[in-house]
Amino acid sequence: MTTKQTVKVTVNGIAYERQVEPRLTLVDFLRHELHLGGTHVGCEHGVCGTCNILVDGKAVRSCLMLAVQVDGESLTTVEGLRNRDTGDLHPIQQAFVDEHGLQCGFCTPGFLMTTLELLRDNPNPSEADIKDALGGNLCRCTGYEAIMKSVRLAAKRVQEGQDIGLTHTD
Amino acid sequence: MKPAPFDYYSPDTLEEAVALLAKLENEDLDAKILAGGQSLMPMLSLRLARPDALVDLRKIGALDYIREDGDTIAIGAMTSKSAAEDSDVIRTRQPLFHEATLLVGHRQIRNRGTVGGSFAHAEPTAEYGAAAMVLGMDMKVVGPNGERIVPAKDFYVTYLTADIDSTEILTEVRLPVLKKGTGWSFQEMSRRQGDHALAGAAVTLRLVGGVCKDVCIAVFGVNASPTRLAEAEAFITGKAATEDNAREAGRVGADGLEEPMSDVHATAQYRRGLIATLVARCLVEAASRAS
Amino acid sequence: MSIEIPGLPEDMPGAELKYVGKDVKRIEDPGLVAGTVEFIDNLDLPNMAHCAMLRSPHPHARITGYDTSAAEALPGVVAVITGEDVKRWANPVTTAPEGWGSYCLAVDKVRFVGEPVVAVAAESRYIAEDALELVNVEYELLPVAATAEEAIKEGAPRLFEENESNVILSKTYDWGDVDQVFADADHVVSETFFWNRVGANPMETFGCVSTWDTVNNSLTIHGSFQTPGFMALGRAFSLNLPTNKVKVVSHPHGGSFGGKGGPRGSEISSLLSRKAGGRAVKYIEDRVEYLLAGAGQSWDRYYDASLALKADGTVTGFKVKLLDDQGAGAEGYGTISIAKPIAAFTGCYRIEAARYDLNVVATNRAPTYPYRGYGPPPHNYVLESLMDIAAQKLGLDVAEIRRRNYIPPEAFPYTIPSGNEYDSGQYEVTLDAALELADYEALREEQARAREEGRLLGIGVCSVVEPGVFDWNAYTTVGIQGVGVPEGAKVSVDIMGQITVTVGFSLEGQGQYTLAAQLVADFFGVDMAGVRVAYAATDVAPPHFGPGGSRLGVSITGAVLGACRKIEEKFKLVTARLMQCEPAALELADGFVRIKGVPGAEMHIAQVAGTMLARSDLLPPGMEQSPEATYVWTAPGRTEPDEQGRCKSYLTAANACHVVMVEIDPGTGRTDILKYCVADDCGTRLNPATVEGQLMGGIAQGIGAALFEEYVYTDDGQPKVSTFAEYLVPTIHEVPKTDKAVIVTPSPFTPLGAKGCGEGAIHTTPAVIMCAINDALLPLGVQARATPASPNRVWDLLQQAK
Ligand SMILES: Cc1cc2nc3c(=O)[nH]c(=O)nc-3n(C[C@H](O)[C@H](O)[C@H](O)COP(=O)(O)OP(=O)(O)OC[C@H]3O[C@@H](n4cnc5c(N)ncnc54)[C@H](O)[C@@H]3O)c2cc1C
Ligand code: FES
Ligand code: FES
Repeated sequence: MTTKQTVKVTVNGIAYERQVEPRLTLVDFLRHELHLGGTHVGCEHGVCGTCNILVDGKAVRSCLMLAVQVDGESLTTVEGLRNRDTGDLHPIQQAFVDEHGLQCGFCTPGFLMTTLELLRDNPNPSEADIKDALGGNLCRCTGYEAIMKSVRLAAKRVQEGQDIGLTHTD
Repeated sequence: MKPAPFDYYSPDTLEEAVALLAKLENEDLDAKILAGGQSLMPMLSLRLARPDALVDLRKIGALDYIREDGDTIAIGAMTSKSAAEDSDVIRTRQPLFHEATLLVGHRQIRNRGTVGGSFAHAEPTAEYGAAAMVLGMDMKVVGPNGERIVPAKDFYVTYLTADIDSTEILTEVRLPVLKKGTGWSFQEMSRRQGDHALAGAAVTLRLVGGVCKDVCIAVFGVNASPTRLAEAEAFITGKAATEDNAREAGRVGADGLEEPMSDVHATAQYRRGLIATLVARCLVEAASRAS
Repeated sequence: MSIEIPGLPEDMPGAELKYVGKDVKRIEDPGLVAGTVEFIDNLDLPNMAHCAMLRSPHPHARITGYDTSAAEALPGVVAVITGEDVKRWANPVTTAPEGWGSYCLAVDKVRFVGEPVVAVAAESRYIAEDALELVNVEYELLPVAATAEEAIKEGAPRLFEENESNVILSKTYDWGDVDQVFADADHVVSETFFWNRVGANPMETFGCVSTWDTVNNSLTIHGSFQTPGFMALGRAFSLNLPTNKVKVVSHPHGGSFGGKGGPRGSEISSLLSRKAGGRAVKYIEDRVEYLLAGAGQSWDRYYDASLALKADGTVTGFKVKLLDDQGAGAEGYGTISIAKPIAAFTGCYRIEAARYDLNVVATNRAPTYPYRGYGPPPHNYVLESLMDIAAQKLGLDVAEIRRRNYIPPEAFPYTIPSGNEYDSGQYEVTLDAALELADYEALREEQARAREEGRLLGIGVCSVVEPGVFDWNAYTTVGIQGVGVPEGAKVSVDIMGQITVTVGFSLEGQGQYTLAAQLVADFFGVDMAGVRVAYAATDVAPPHFGPGGSRLGVSITGAVLGACRKIEEKFKLVTARLMQCEPAALELADGFVRIKGVPGAEMHIAQVAGTMLARSDLLPPGMEQSPEATYVWTAPGRTEPDEQGRCKSYLTAANACHVVMVEIDPGTGRTDILKYCVADDCGTRLNPATVEGQLMGGIAQGIGAALFEEYVYTDDGQPKVSTFAEYLVPTIHEVPKTDKAVIVTPSPFTPLGAKGCGEGAIHTTPAVIMCAINDALLPLGVQARATPASPNRVWDLLQQAK
């Protein structure tokens, strides 16, 4: 075992500090050190997108990062999407519920976080834009059609003025 | 699937990083540079790589830039591929590099994966390899003995190996902007969009009096390193880029290849066939874009 | 007590259905999108250790020695087990047929790459993996039976040395006078087909946490189990525990599609817990382990098949010779997948006679397990391809030859030669709907134009029966008897009128909890928000099986409605006594028990339940104080198989017709799907949105099987697929938009007329894509007979054609 190092990180607006082994992956850190179990693991080698989260606002694979690499950074995970006061679902989450954009729901947090980045940067995405954004997320259940509809519905709601801004203040 | 133990360092400056690498080397420790981790992390988790130490360049902000320098664009090694993708300078002045960038994995991979990391990793399937060869890029490498510039043709040594010493750091890649009138094309075949390519090709050319001039053809995904196809270039030079000529150039290029790689997705023979197709298609497309 | 379960939605109590048959939002979803659902890896038990497994690098070898001392000495290691411990403490898993099962860890020898050999429990998974690197295992390599063809050769290396050969099962079924029919045929078409291994690959791999109570000698396993009761029973047998001392708690899981359950993983973590003196041990299979050796590989098959035809295109006979590679034994019940096709052997067609000649063989590949469809998808690909070949031979259109052979609507219920009875169907209606959706004639014109330009466009039209609601008797041929697969539900109404449904299966993705809530809400006429669905672990759950064989939607409907009926009866007795009327004068509607035709003469179900729980003095004499009921449903009318395996097995026969157009890129061999149309008839749709979800998911997996997915092995038995860079699950780019038509032919035999639809489209999609590809290749004189039609395979064919 190698020397543990300190990680100070803000996740969904909450500051954490932990001592970790350098080899601990970020997704294991989130899930098993911080007990934020909403970010799931499908492959641990970067292909499935199940573990996607936002690091400083960018969608990335949390299985392809080390916990020590987010020292000083600000992260958003699926747990940060719901309105903390009211418990209401985030518009993107609600759109997935409304359009049956999930079945087992295991891939869903990854899709939600990827969609968040997409719609934040491009509130009116074309079909091709959506496919490009979500092409790195695997879903074994839905066949993607309902996911596509969900993202379109979320985009429509964003255009109608619903706020999808990150729910925490960095 | 968890990495074996290692030490982790994240120096603040390039100088510190270079010194650290030298120190670790002196102590006979195997140190690896960590950039975006999009190739290294899977290798660590699969325990295919088991370095004693990682030297993370993430804090060295000085390696994150895209600069126009006359007719050259300089990209800092730690620039993310998504930054390269979003760069207006690259898109407008070197569209071939922009296209190559778009073909690398998915947006989430490009958000983390660095430009330098792809060059340093020297994967046979890296789009950037063909871009480097066809554009004649230069790589800037810094080590204990200072910096050196390595032209693309010397940079790629073999499978997963670039001309970077274990104590050196790739700090910048330089690409010339596309010359006015030059036609270009970048095409690949992959099983699914975003997958590593089974084979791919990049072409630049000019048309003078309706015939091809200054033709550069490079292919990737087939051999251990990206390769220029000199015979195909010679064949098409001085000829019009008709479908027939392009097809024949593709065939000449494919025939001239060293025995291609073979894996679960593609046999060597199929890869050769793909090169014939892709080179031909690139030539036609590049010619259509030349003026 | 005979309970009458509503056969159609209109037979439900109350005037109007608010939920059943509507696109109801799923009650499962808020927790899933919020990320708060407790998937197995989210479970942390106090003082839990973590398991990692050392796996065999060899396809076939004798284990000649272990050295685990260094691993045991590593700080943080809690327990290490090898085949020696397993031999003492466990048994090989039971199989069908018997005698083809392995121990959870290799004992004496390894039979496939990836087979667990040594397991470690440590304070973290990281340390457990460190410890594996310190383990030494000595092997003596054995010759390898890498393919089924090699494995049946004289003198082939035997996997199970106690068995005479590698042949697990060899049997021929004759249904009708097959030889005569072929002798009388005007034409016979024959072809060989190869289906390469594919597999489930749910996004969540298997995981479990085992705790062996060494004082009371009992075991609790939390995990991602598709069929909790079945798993618990199996673990009791293999781990030498009384059946009532194994408790399985199934957690919501991230998809299953057949194989979720990991018998080996469950047993290994349990034995580690036992060795660690009862500490909980978690095992989370990683993706590499899943791909190498997980419970997810299926269908590795070589077919030689023929159709007998009359001059007018009537198909009279169908012969199938199957060589099936089960991999290293039958531990995963992969054998069942050769039996299931018997339930719909002759597809949508009226075919007099059929023969099924089976050779099921063990090889040094990973053992096969169930996967969505459980066998028929390759079978349908063979039958449908032969229909196309027959059409070409006779110069008939591919839609026309099918039309001429369909079982007509008036013939239902219809018994096929292999013995199963189809409940209902209108195959021609489905065909026409799909053709119309696709504008079939226009497609053919487009194809003709494209061909003139040298483009490779192809159209596929396939009609398939998708059997649903299985019964174990379908699988007698592999040595399983059994008539009846119970599925139970308990419905309880509390003192405030809130209703809880308790079931024995956990969330997996198909939306059955929502369905249960829909049914209860509509039955009692209450708001769905007032219905909760709860999971019960195996020690307290009613008899159950869980999802599988496209049965749970139908079964849970039967169970829930049966329980509701029982409560309705009780409520009427109580209300009749309180209102001093006859029970027959009462009706249940809008949350009230009412006297029919007397406005206001009613009691809310909360009042009735409250009275039952609180006022024994007011109840009819002898009545239990129990406003709850359990009902266990099974498919009615199942029969015992005869000597030719013929029986009524699968209760429902759903039907679909897919029409697809593809284009092949001649330069790369790549296939693009240009158009995908589906007409689908799975009887009454209880929640159309979730039915559509199942359909789309099945199409995506079918596209995977036809074009992308494949477990590749080298000639010497080494797997070449161990990551998601090699096993290619289709992404959003590869799955096309579909046009859909819905046909509803209710089943006369099921609750509300619903048919099994969970496996759905995977029965049809691979067949139709292969048919379309071959249609595209037709002018070149080559045909693709191996799946998947990967770009490389197609390109090779294109070269042959040159
Ligand atoms: C799902 C997926 C799909 C992908 N698809 C593609 C694709 O289609 N095409 C493609 O080209 N790539 C693809 N990649 C790889 C990706 O592009 C990587 O980002 C890239 O290969 C490496 O860049 P990195 O910054 O992540 O480097 P790292 O992974 O951090 O490092 C890679 C190697 O380079 C060395 N290194 C990195 N930076 C330097 C430096 N500045 N100086 C010296 N050595 C250095 C490291 O020590 C290491 O050995 C894919 C990856 C994934 C996970
Ligand atoms: S778990 Fe990170 S990409 Fe699959
Ligand atoms: S909903 Fe199950 S994997 Fe996407």
